[in-house]
Amino acid sequence: MSLKGPAKYREEAAKTIHEKPEVRASITAATRTFDAHRVHAWGQIDADRWRDWARDVKTHLLRNLDEYLEQAEERLTANGAHIHWAETADDALAVLSEVVHAHGIARVVKAKSMLSEELGVNGHLEGLGVHVRETDLGEYIIQLLGQPPSHIVGPAIHLSVDDCRSLFSERLGTPLDAEPDELAAAARDALRAEFLAADLGISGGNFLAADTGTVALIENEGNIRLSTSLPRVHIAFVGIEKLVPRLEDVSGLLQLTTRAATGQPIGIYTSLIQGPRKSDEVDGPEEVHVVLVDNGRTKLLADDAAWEALRCVRCGACLNICPVYRQTGGHAYGWTYSGPIGAIIAPGMLGLEEAMPLPFASSLCGACTDVCPVRIPIPDLLVHWREQAVQQGLAPPTETLGLKAYAKLAQSPELFGTANSVLRHMPLQLGGRALPVLGGWLQERSAPRSSKKSFLQMWKEGIE
Amino acid sequence: MSARDRILERVREALSDRETAAHPGAFEGWRPTTASHPVNGLVQLLEAAGGEVVRQPNVDDAAAWLASFCADFENSAVGETVPVVLHPPLPLGAPDTAPLGVSMARGAVAETGSLIMDARDGRRAQLLVPTHVVFVHTRDVYATLREALIDLVDDLPSAIAFHSGPSKSADIGQILVKGVHGPGRLVAVLIDGET
Amino acid sequence: MRASLFATCLCDQFYAEACADAVRLLRHLGVDVDVPEGQTCCGQPAYNAGRPEEARGMATHTMHVFADAEYVVLPSGSCAGMIRCFYHELADEGHAESLASRTYELSQFLRQVLNVDTLGTGLQGRRVAYHHSCHALRELGVEDEPLSLLAGCGAEVVEWEADQECCGFGGLFSTKLPEVSAAMADRKLDTLPDIDFMTSSDGGCLLQLSGRAAKRRIGPPFVHLASALWQGVGP
Repeated sequence: MSLKGPAKYREEAAKTIHEKPEVRASITAATRTFDAHRVHAWGQIDADRWRDWARDVKTHLLRNLDEYLEQAEERLTANGAHIHWAETADDALAVLSEVVHAHGIARVVKAKSMLSEELGVNGHLEGLGVHVRETDLGEYIIQLLGQPPSHIVGPAIHLSVDDCRSLFSERLGTPLDAEPDELAAAARDALRAEFLAADLGISGGNFLAADTGTVALIENEGNIRLSTSLPRVHIAFVGIEKLVPRLEDVSGLLQLTTRAATGQPIGIYTSLIQGPRKSDEVDGPEEVHVVLVDNGRTKLLADDAAWEALRCVRCGACLNICPVYRQTGGHAYGWTYSGPIGAIIAPGMLGLEEAMPLPFASSLCGACTDVCPVRIPIPDLLVHWREQAVQQGLAPPTETLGLKAYAKLAQSPELFGTANSVLRHMPLQLGGRALPVLGGWLQERSAPRSSKKSFLQMWKEGIE
Repeated sequence: MSARDRILERVREALSDRETAAHPGAFEGWRPTTASHPVNGLVQLLEAAGGEVVRQPNVDDAAAWLASFCADFENSAVGETVPVVLHPPLPLGAPDTAPLGVSMARGAVAETGSLIMDARDGRRAQLLVPTHVVFVHTRDVYATLREALIDLVDDLPSAIAFHSGPSKSADIGQILVKGVHGPGRLVAVLIDGET
Repeated sequence: MRASLFATCLCDQFYAEACADAVRLLRHLGVDVDVPEGQTCCGQPAYNAGRPEEARGMATHTMHVFADAEYVVLPSGSCAGMIRCFYHELADEGHAESLASRTYELSQFLRQVLNVDTLGTGLQGRRVAYHHSCHALRELGVEDEPLSLLAGCGAEVVEWEADQECCGFGGLFSTKLPEVSAAMADRKLDTLPDIDFMTSSDGGCLLQLSGRAAKRRIGPPFVHLASALWQGVGP
């Protein structure tokens, strides 16, 4: 299954809702659980203060991004790592090809990385004839199914235990009624062999501390530690917005991210990687490459409003609380990043036209910004992109005409009253054909009934 | 102009008309209630995450505990920084086949319930074994993650990892499973003093 | 004390009786009520659709209509939220702030300005589900006010797992992405415990939920908060 692009959002969402109700059920249950854990974990700390601090660190970082990028490059190089700068996805993949050819790489193990999805790393490796295996259990499951991840933190939350049972029975030979423990053990054995045989490990980066040249990675399984420790080469793809001024800043951002994502005080394993193994170490990769990726991030940075979206720490909390996301899961959004964060970075990274209608795929309920650990003003940014869409002529002409007419009426109270009267006396059932906007309403809801008299009329006549 | 220069140029251009934003300063981990003694915090969090914690008054007692603990294991992988007195009385095994691994942690963090694992101790023995015993001195327990990181900066190996419990995943239908892929059993042995 | 009622475009059209109940309720509490002529729409639909120019026109008009109001009271959290939170972006900052500081959603006005505790026993023994409109909750911070007022009429406000989740109205969202909007309404309706009626501060939410319920031929009665509280005053 490949993602169909944001343009198909309405269609894909409707399909998921009507044809796969179990997806909606799984996603709703999983996201509610994640969110409940976040609430509990934030209740143990002064969350408001942590979030203010995190917002300020990330804002400072973004405001001085060029300096910190240069510092990180210098430190990582001093640590013995190789730095690459990729303006586009193609550039990043070219670095990958270079490393693959230079080392004769045949087998790759991958840690979960949304950036690697964004860049299309797996497809590229397969095209090079390289065997690539996702090692995060959730990513492994969806790789076997040929699906993209549907959530930033839990890639397989749209699947049930039974889905996993059938899959593992087919691919790993486990019994159809196997308990999760048994399924996990089978995956562990299969993936253990992969870790031991791989020549290249690929990861993303949750944070990159500029002062020490440290790539920080968060996980619960251990597959990231294994992928970045066992193979002789490690490549980390890191978005340029992932920088953090100082290693000690990671202390706050790390804890806030894990509490926001899954309610944990910290992930089970946190890796702080400086570079390749040193002479006094018995294991570790011989070569470490860090690819700093732009791929549209500088475009977002240049936007006077949307730059705030670059504070994102990819915790998934906004997905977990979003009432729109939970009806469909991530696939309907049609590209790598879904939910509220996906909708506000898509116009910067894909371009607004390609990102449509994602900025409109929201009721602007505001729940997301209430839970964002770095206080991204998501609803404001959605409205910002909507304004841009209107200015660029991407909104439907009927909507433009309709709202312009409405606004005019609303500034002429007598005409407004007349229009309301007309509406009151027109059976809205029929109106649906006349006014497309009503059609959308009537498809799913009964026609609303106008009051017999408008309130303003009642007031004129006197209220008892 | 290289890709590097073009990216930096675009960043600078994007920032050219922005207001300055100061660094907010140290992260102090603000909480409604102050934590109890750091070591208690460490124990609580490790146990809540599914880890086991054992306290020994000194290294000799810790060694005796280890001897009895590993009675049922055939062999063991041992970390490079584990002092000889704390080596298990077992044949040495390879990390990828041994049922048990013994490591020496560089320290621990009470705020997060984490053991600080240094690459110099050997990464494979920390990750591939199903049962992982980790020794740490109580004097090396930091109250906060920030303090630990500030200290570590002076002597950073290629990799430091914080291990905060046994490996777990909830990717199969949101049901918790252990031991995929790191050790499914983590035993932290806190040593309170020297002999 | 004088309060100027801003009926709002939706309530004027679809919940006129609820507006009348708001008037009755305020008068019962000793407030002098007027309804400034020329009121139309706060401009939110245009603003949320990315059309600040059109919204600006409506905001300026609204500010003019309510320029002399001592208090502006609305049977709508989202319209009150629009005025309080976004007018300063659209119009002269000083005037916008002045209007914002005098603007209240009905239950917010009753609790925060009139300090109303109990209204009567008109809802004694009634099991009621309260739907929190997103803008009342998150823009105005109105959370306890409607609940305590309902309880103050003798109602039992039931536990409801989806009570603070968006109903799926979102203005034009409901018609541009109707399938997702309906799924959101279904989430609310399908998690409702056994109740006598559902109420909310916002007409848009009620239209969305009652419209979906009617289409599915399910659902409890839907009552605007103003009417529920007026009923709560009792005999």
